Amino acid sequence: MRLKVGLVLAAFAVLALLPIPLSEFRTVQLATVGAYVIAILGLDVLAGHSGQISLGHGAFMAVGGYTTAILMAQHGVRDVWTIPIAGVVAGAIGLLAGLPALRLTGFYLALATFGIAVALPTIPKKFDKLTGGSTGITLFGSKHQTGHGAGIWGLTNNEWLYALTWTIAGFLFLVAWWLLGSRFGRSLRAVRDSELAATASGVNRAKYKVLAFGVSAAYAGVAGALYAINIAYVSPDTFPVQLSLYLLVGAVVGFFGSIWGAVLGALLIQFLPDIVRVVLHVDTKQAGPTTFFYGAVLVGLMLVLPLVLRAARVLSRP
Amino acid sequence: MKLLIALAVGALTLGGSTPGVSSSTITLGSSGPLTGEAAAAAGVLKGADAYFKYVNARGGVNGRKIDFKFLDDAYDPARTVQNVRQLIQQDNVFALFSVVGTNGNLAVRDFANAAGVPTVFSASGATTFGRDYAKYPWTIGYLPPYAEEGKLYAKHILVTNAKKAKVAVLYQSDDYGKDLLAGFRRGLGAKARTTIVQTVGYDPTSSDIQSQVAQLKASGANTLCVFAFGKFAIQAFVYANKLGWKPQIYVNDVASASSIMVLDPQSTAEGAISILWGKDPATPKFKGDAGVVLATKIVKKYVPGGSASDGFLVAGMAEAFSMVDALKASGKNPTRKGLMNAVTHMNEANNPFLVPGVKVHTTPTSRFPISSVQLQRWHKGHWEPFGGVVSAKP
Repeated sequence: MRLKVGLVLAAFAVLALLPIPLSEFRTVQLATVGAYVIAILGLDVLAGHSGQISLGHGAFMAVGGYTTAILMAQHGVRDVWTIPIAGVVAGAIGLLAGLPALRLTGFYLALATFGIAVALPTIPKKFDKLTGGSTGITLFGSKHQTGHGAGIWGLTNNEWLYALTWTIAGFLFLVAWWLLGSRFGRSLRAVRDSELAATASGVNRAKYKVLAFGVSAAYAGVAGALYAINIAYVSPDTFPVQLSLYLLVGAVVGFFGSIWGAVLGALLIQFLPDIVRVVLHVDTKQAGPTTFFYGAVLVGLMLVLPLVLRAARVLSRP
Repeated sequence: MKLLIALAVGALTLGGSTPGVSSSTITLGSSGPLTGEAAAAAGVLKGADAYFKYVNARGGVNGRKIDFKFLDDAYDPARTVQNVRQLIQQDNVFALFSVVGTNGNLAVRDFANAAGVPTVFSASGATTFGRDYAKYPWTIGYLPPYAEEGKLYAKHILVTNAKKAKVAVLYQSDDYGKDLLAGFRRGLGAKARTTIVQTVGYDPTSSDIQSQVAQLKASGANTLCVFAFGKFAIQAFVYANKLGWKPQIYVNDVASASSIMVLDPQSTAEGAISILWGKDPATPKFKGDAGVVLATKIVKKYVPGGSASDGFLVAGMAEAFSMVDALKASGKNPTRKGLMNAVTHMNEANNPFLVPGVKVHTTPTSRFPISSVQLQRWHKGHWEPFGGVVSAKP
């Protein structure tokens, strides 16, 4: 127990001091990683604990991102206040998506959510007055950005984004930890392991499955809002189908561990292109080899990671 | 000790005051579609890169070599934003040069201007990049303004077929296609309402435009304007051919590279009209032309796997030639302000990669580097320029 507390404190210290040796650009990249961590945490609640696989979480991120962008650009709302609103909007849509999902399981659910991820990016193109169409919405230079220009509280703009994102990520981690440890989490796992047994024990199966969808989508919405605030730009291509796939990959990596796994998965999403370019010396200016090595690295990780995590568990056993 | 500090401060202000400029190099950055649907336009960056290497091999600019970093964004503005962020905040480039695509340039404009980083000779002809300099003083485009290009096609129709022309327009439904369409409408003036019988837009990230072409054919038009990009232009020709439709086609500059046109069904492409400003190496008229010969030499040496007949490469070299001129004019110790001053005082009549008569000319209040063009007609598998050089100045 003492070891664990030490580890967490050490992780906090590293996280807080990390931007100092890093360049502005790497700092904002790591802020983006924080946004991915939040989305993966949400997916962990849904897929890991309620057993519902979603291939469409990029779409919920898009809902959050566009909520933030539209509120900032057209309604003059300060960026930080758009974050909870984005979470609520995405969460509401998640609840709605959870209703038909009640009738679907396994592959069918995965494909239905995949459909959401495919269809959603086309919607902003249709309503281009509101969303800027395929040109998107630029938030850079908006006077509703906090910490822009000279920065805030002695932090540069990018350091502020980093601090904001990771503070929210930390808070949402605690919320998820508390939720999953409570009656809510136990009910989810009961439904996941046996719907029949859970129902027989008085757990309202439909309620918990839909709620899991809502909570998970709200997390993705907050992640999308933070992503939009970090990049200061959203367009239909900001949240492509691949993002949904990568989030699931990140979550699969994350299932085995906990928060650490989610961080690992998020780092992977952000830095896979760099890994392919720098470590494998692949010329990323060529389409074919890049895509091939993305795939190869992912397959390799899926094969190796369970072994590594099992080994880590055996070693850490008292 | 005081002396040391003074020396150190002096060295800093002398040597390190301008980001991206060292005693031996000038670092330029760019972003464009090196992969994906629009990858043909990567030729612009590869051509520019080759020309910089050629200049570097001859001593560089005022003793400095040009280090040109260009990143792939797959024509996705979200990635252009990230690339430009990296170039400015991580790679400390002196300036952004020839960022490709209207949407990408729109997406990075606020950021680059807030950072005070020159974004020069962007590979886009959207009118806003030349017009809105009061709000975006650090941005300037390069290509002939799309709206003026549209106007030229309208004028040609009015001159050649004013009475009978019934025009259908296929356009990319973003600022790029809409700019062309708006200029075309303005060019037709009062006749626009009766002459244009149908306009259909397509989304730049869609995969197929068959239904759009069918819709345009059904309008009964005898003239088709293709204001499209890359594969969509090819699809327009292919589907018109499949449907047995033989309108007079006008195809915009960016979509009309010879390398693209030869892929179209030739019975449909025959007689199509476009504009040109850079020398197209595939045009017989420029065979043996000094600029084309130089371009061919540079492609062979510095673009592995590049085709000497690729017009995008030559367009990139034309931009790079102007950039080298601007850097030279920025003086021995170039600053970002100095570069902007240079690119807004261009008077370059000797660019070997431009069509004879087309000059690069700018003033602080007229920021359209290429503002004259020539019409050309597709005939028997290649472009043939016709008429004289005409103004495309807004």
